[in-house]
Amino acid sequence: MKNPAALEQLIESLRCLPGVGPKSALRMAYYLLQRDRKGASGLANALSTALETVGHCQLCNNFSELPTCPTCSNEKRDRSLLCVVEMPTDVMMLEQTQSYDGLYFVLMGRLSPLDGVGPKEINLDKLIKRAQHNSADQQGVNEVILATNYTVEGEATAHYVMELLKARDIKVSRIARGLPMGGEIEYVDSGTLAQAIVERKRVN
Amino acid sequence: MAVASNQYRQDHQPVYVLHTYAFKETSLVVELFSKAHGRVATVAKGARRPRSAMRGQLQSFQMLAATWSGKNELKTLHSLEWADGLVLLQGEALMCGFYLNELLLRLLPREDAYEQLFDYYQATVKALSSGVQPAMHLRRFELKMLQEMGYAVPLDFDENDSPIVANLQYRYVAELGACAFTGAENGVVLSGQTLIDMAKDAYDNIQTQQQSKQLMRYLLAYYLGDKPLHTRQLLIDLQGL
Ligand SMILES: [Zn+2]
Repeated sequence: MKNPAALEQLIESLRCLPGVGPKSALRMAYYLLQRDRKGASGLANALSTALETVGHCQLCNNFSELPTCPTCSNEKRDRSLLCVVEMPTDVMMLEQTQSYDGLYFVLMGRLSPLDGVGPKEINLDKLIKRAQHNSADQQGVNEVILATNYTVEGEATAHYVMELLKARDIKVSRIARGLPMGGEIEYVDSGTLAQAIVERKRVN
Repeated sequence: MAVASNQYRQDHQPVYVLHTYAFKETSLVVELFSKAHGRVATVAKGARRPRSAMRGQLQSFQMLAATWSGKNELKTLHSLEWADGLVLLQGEALMCGFYLNELLLRLLPREDAYEQLFDYYQATVKALSSGVQPAMHLRRFELKMLQEMGYAVPLDFDENDSPIVANLQYRYVAELGACAFTGAENGVVLSGQTLIDMAKDAYDNIQTQQQSKQLMRYLLAYYLGDKPLHTRQLLIDLQGL
């Protein structure tokens, strides 16, 4: 049996989602058309509206409906701090901590040398421009905080950004790593524990 | 049937993780460099789930002990354990580490053991972590890798079996070695001193550093084919900053 052409096209389109193979795509398409046509129509509308209205904030590169997103326009935030993250979800996590009131820059990716993802594939030019940008009241960035992941790719990205900023007289810092909150040494993985010993800090 | 399945099981093998990439919805393909089995491709099932126990252990440049099984090209990775003290590659050393891994991924055939090269990789990663003279360690590794893989890189004698003379100019051609310096276009022009230094593993001389880099770049390009190395471009970009 062959599916109608429009259905085949839907299945093919669903496969653009990460981790969705032909079987999952088929299951999703059947579900949307058979079980939840209302949901499907909502999804179609939401998708086309989002495509039309959501772009990137000109300052932080995060998703935004406005040229400058609400976070970047918020007068109460500390404009001297710029925190560099890989993905929008990282901004959400940092916001949840309620411990950071500076601004962000979202790379929308990371360097991945072995996959051929180089500096040109992530938004480093935009970051350099942003780091040197002064707001209307001439408040510039004093410190760039590198909050890329502690994976080898995240470390490579942090190093590259650090090298880019080195010549520009901006303080650069890297978020700390170590034992998790409430972490008991007995249950921490060897890698984290080894790092914590190597990167110990003096307390007296 | 227990015997048949055990036959394809490898327990606690010393390995390095060369690269990982997404596989199906929640899994990872983990490319390992194993001491006893060479380059082995494995699947870590569920390793992309947020609380996967494997996640913390999937560290490149860190000697690990791996257990896997399977008789097909893609094995199933059961566990990875910490097997040596922490080796921290940071900054430029980390970029050099990626370069080593890309070389191994591009040149090593699957499931062919290179025990000495494994030991040399381990020593090179440790040397890189000291942050001193990374270029020299890369040259040594490149040369060692080609030699271990059985590509002849003669350094002591020219193509006519005459000993290399320090103050003579040569043209080094892949498969042939050092040839008399004529105006011909192929190969790399270098001094006899460079070859003598490389044979002695001595890279202090500036000219030796430059010419050995050109020679290794030429030889690697010859054996790698047209597709350029991603990581070399990144190292060049970094130096140009
Ligand atoms: Zn913004």
